[in-house]
Amino acid sequence: MAAEHAAAAHNPNIGITGLDHRKMGMWAFLGSECMFFGSLIGTYLAYKGKSISGPGPHQILNIPLTSVSAFVLLMSSLLMVLALAAVQRNDMKWGKIWLFMTAVLGAGFVGFQIFEFTHFVHLGLTLQTNLFGSTFFVLTGFHGAHVTGGVIWLLAMWWLAVRGRLDSRDTLKVEICGLYWHFVDIVWIVIFALIYLIP
Amino acid sequence: MDTTHGAQAPAAHDEGHASVQTYLRVAVVLAILTAIEIGALYVPGMPNHLLVVLILIFGTLKFALVVAFFMHLRYDNKLLTVLFVGPLFIATAIILAIMALFSAFLLLHRG
Repeated sequence: MAAEHAAAAHNPNIGITGLDHRKMGMWAFLGSECMFFGSLIGTYLAYKGKSISGPGPHQILNIPLTSVSAFVLLMSSLLMVLALAAVQRNDMKWGKIWLFMTAVLGAGFVGFQIFEFTHFVHLGLTLQTNLFGSTFFVLTGFHGAHVTGGVIWLLAMWWLAVRGRLDSRDTLKVEICGLYWHFVDIVWIVIFALIYLIP
Repeated sequence: MDTTHGAQAPAAHDEGHASVQTYLRVAVVLAILTAIEIGALYVPGMPNHLLVVLILIFGTLKFALVVAFFMHLRYDNKLLTVLFVGPLFIATAIILAIMALFSAFLLLHRG
């Protein structure tokens, strides 16, 4: 405890718990995000199969295509931890590569989602069509917005690295960005299982 | 740019992370779990109840692996686990409560 108080005295970001406020803040934020997405997922499941007109999920969801995009997002999480590991050992060449590649995979996921949404609208499913359309677009749309925010954050970290303003002393910044990125990945693991895979 | 440069005590924000080899192993396990999860959909004659249970188990495993290893909760201070798992339980309760309110069950039918 004495060491933690000493650390807190030297660094304004370290509290009496010995943890960095920024990291604790991010975990608390992710906890609140769990409840946000929990509400949207619960609403989707509550209205599942209750639309009085089509199209319904079994007529419209493209599981092979979404499986590819889910795999892309899952593997972007691997690249994110590789970026963090590279920054920790001050290997900024690979740090930059992995940060950029994580953003590219994230952008790829968003691209898949834009294609999917556009395709669904052409097939006659919009936000106003039926209960499935409104709950599906709101849930996956909010997730897509989160991914887009994550891509912008990753590109900002990459740009700082390119400009030489990010190194191993900024490990915590990359770690916090990574926490957010992994969170959007685990939310998609849940959405993919509950909305796309469960019949 | 940052007033904390060089001032972060290593023990102050994390207690060590997994190695790159561990990250790669976890990624391989995640890929295998995803392949099984999707492959189960195409198994002819698979009972619906079994399929739902399998998808829920594999989804939970993937979720736990990412949180434990990629998000480092396995290695970090337990307070962070409490900060995340507490709201996660509440979120799960919210989902179950909303589903129960609308009699929308994954494995049961309205009697």
